[in-house]
Amino acid sequence: MSQSLRPYLQAVRSSLTAALCLSNFASQTAERHNVPEVEARTSPEVLLTPLTVARNENERVLIEPSINSIRISIKIKQADEIEHILVHKFTRFLTQRAESFFILRRKPIKGYDISFLITNFHTEEMLKHKLVDFIIQFMEEVDKEISEMKLFLNARARFVAESFLTPFD
Amino acid sequence: MSIIQQHTQATLSDAWRTINIDALDPDSSVNFDVSSLSTPQPEISEADARQIAAQVRQLIRGGDPEGALRGALENPVYNGPELAKDTHLQTVIEVLQSIKASEMTPMLQRIYGTPGGPECLDVLMKYLYKGMASTSGSSHGGASSSARGTPTPRNMTPQATGFSQIGAGRPGAGGESTGGAMSVLLSWHEKVVDVAGLGCIGRVMTDFRRV
Repeated sequence: MSQSLRPYLQAVRSSLTAALCLSNFASQTAERHNVPEVEARTSPEVLLTPLTVARNENERVLIEPSINSIRISIKIKQADEIEHILVHKFTRFLTQRAESFFILRRKPIKGYDISFLITNFHTEEMLKHKLVDFIIQFMEEVDKEISEMKLFLNARARFVAESFLTPFD
Repeated sequence: MSIIQQHTQATLSDAWRTINIDALDPDSSVNFDVSSLSTPQPEISEADARQIAAQVRQLIRGGDPEGALRGALENPVYNGPELAKDTHLQTVIEVLQSIKASEMTPMLQRIYGTPGGPECLDVLMKYLYKGMASTSGSSHGGASSSARGTPTPRNMTPQATGFSQIGAGRPGAGGESTGGAMSVLLSWHEKVVDVAGLGCIGRVMTDFRRV
């Protein structure tokens, strides 16, 4: 792991651990409803201060805590247009399968590439430290995955271009 | 049967469906007054923030970074214009950047041990998160940050070839400087959590006095 990545992930880890203190909280506007307050935004007093952890302008994590849910949005590093496309395709692939990921939000927050929504029901079913580990691992893997895909893409493009241009040699 | 008895020009469009009627009800939870959750804070104008900044700078020059840090953290701008808040954020970041990495932990431990110290570290945490949230790298105010206002994909080379990774790993000099400011904040974040614990982050989240 690179030197500057470690404090970044460490800061995300401690912020997430502190933010994942959720309890059951029924909606105050609609009777017998129980909605993630961070999405509904109907009670300002249960929405806590959002936290941003940034490594640089292009790599950021936004944590929006509330009483019964937290929303984590990740901006993945995109150094050029190919990476931009790859990140878009990759996150689209994941969000289309959001049901199997449980905590994945179907649509990212504006300005971010992928969002997770963890409610108190998730923290009741799953272990908190494993949830934090999952997010951290995702952040570690996604950079690797994207740069790997980019290398593959370039190798493939070079091969295709070579074989296409051979007859004109 | 429609709930609308008489059709007028206003009811024919469906814009009325998007009105949040809860917001019109004074007793609704949407209209909860958040300012009632904390005691009213004294208003600090931009001139006051600048005055604090000048004092803090004097302390840094005088070789008392700990006093400078305490001075900056004991006068947080909770209530004031955006400009005053930004000025104070700059002041805090300036102090943080002037302190050497080896001095961070002992200094934080000294502050934590003194009366009122834990509150200071909570305020420091608030400013660390605020500093990371201000995207344009305001800690390095000036021409370089305003020139880099455009988001990345646009100011990148249109044709990324196999060798673009060499350039990609090293963004322009401007990006480097914000990365540097962020890494200062990140290492401070780590140290503050070490000294003051996770409760420090919890208090940042639950405190409605926002910097």
